[in-house]
Amino acid sequence: MKRTIAFLSLLFVLGALLYIANPDYGLKFGPGGDDWKNLRYTDDYYITHGVKEVGGTNIVTDIVFDYRGYDTLGEATVLFTAIAGATALLRPWRRDEE
Amino acid sequence: MSDDMGVIVRTMARATIPLIGIFGAYVVSHGHLTPGGGFQGGATIAGAGILFLLAFGLSEMKRRYDKHLYSALEGIGGLVFLGAAMLGIGTAFFYNTLWHDGPVFNGEPGTLLSAGYLPIMNLAVGLKVFTGLVSAMAAIALYRRWKS
Repeated sequence: MKRTIAFLSLLFVLGALLYIANPDYGLKFGPGGDDWKNLRYTDDYYITHGVKEVGGTNIVTDIVFDYRGYDTLGEATVLFTAIAGATALLRPWRRDEE
Repeated sequence: MSDDMGVIVRTMARATIPLIGIFGAYVVSHGHLTPGGGFQGGATIAGAGILFLLAFGLSEMKRRYDKHLYSALEGIGGLVFLGAAMLGIGTAFFYNTLWHDGPVFNGEPGTLLSAGYLPIMNLAVGLKVFTGLVSAMAAIALYRRWKS
């Protein structure tokens, strides 16, 4: 009985999400057509100018390493700090040897 | 007690680890042309290292894994990334001067030797992610806090 109710509620949630995500009558994430170019013009700028300004045909790499280079620098620092912290915390401590 | 996973897993790992490494190196070196890049390719190669650790066990990993070499390589990766970002410091930090008027890496877009500092940064980040993740897995396996 419990299992049936759980399954039915899961099905209901899935149906509600499918209804919400339908672009015709559900939630809209921004305007349709070409109107998005007025509001999110940076996307259009990267797509049209990325190959000429940075040179890589992979636009994601152009954005990550050139337009948003500081973000990648911080990400590398976060990785370095995480591994340094893991190594420092996991190594045998003095009171573990007893 | 041996801590590897038996002859079947060891044979399969011996066959697949080079292929995983080659695929990761391809993803890293073509990061400015095809989907993927330094982080993704480095994580793929680190998967090969983790497969080695799982299949061959900790004792074999201890013999092959050099802590000082891997820390040095990770530091070198980060410094090369910073140095490539510093190349265009005359205009701005993270200015791609090699692509606009540099001597190398300024071929046609879509060829391997193009896109300025992007291949250098991809290699540096791939090296950094690979050594970092393998070091993290080795640290977790070496310094375990539970009793066997």
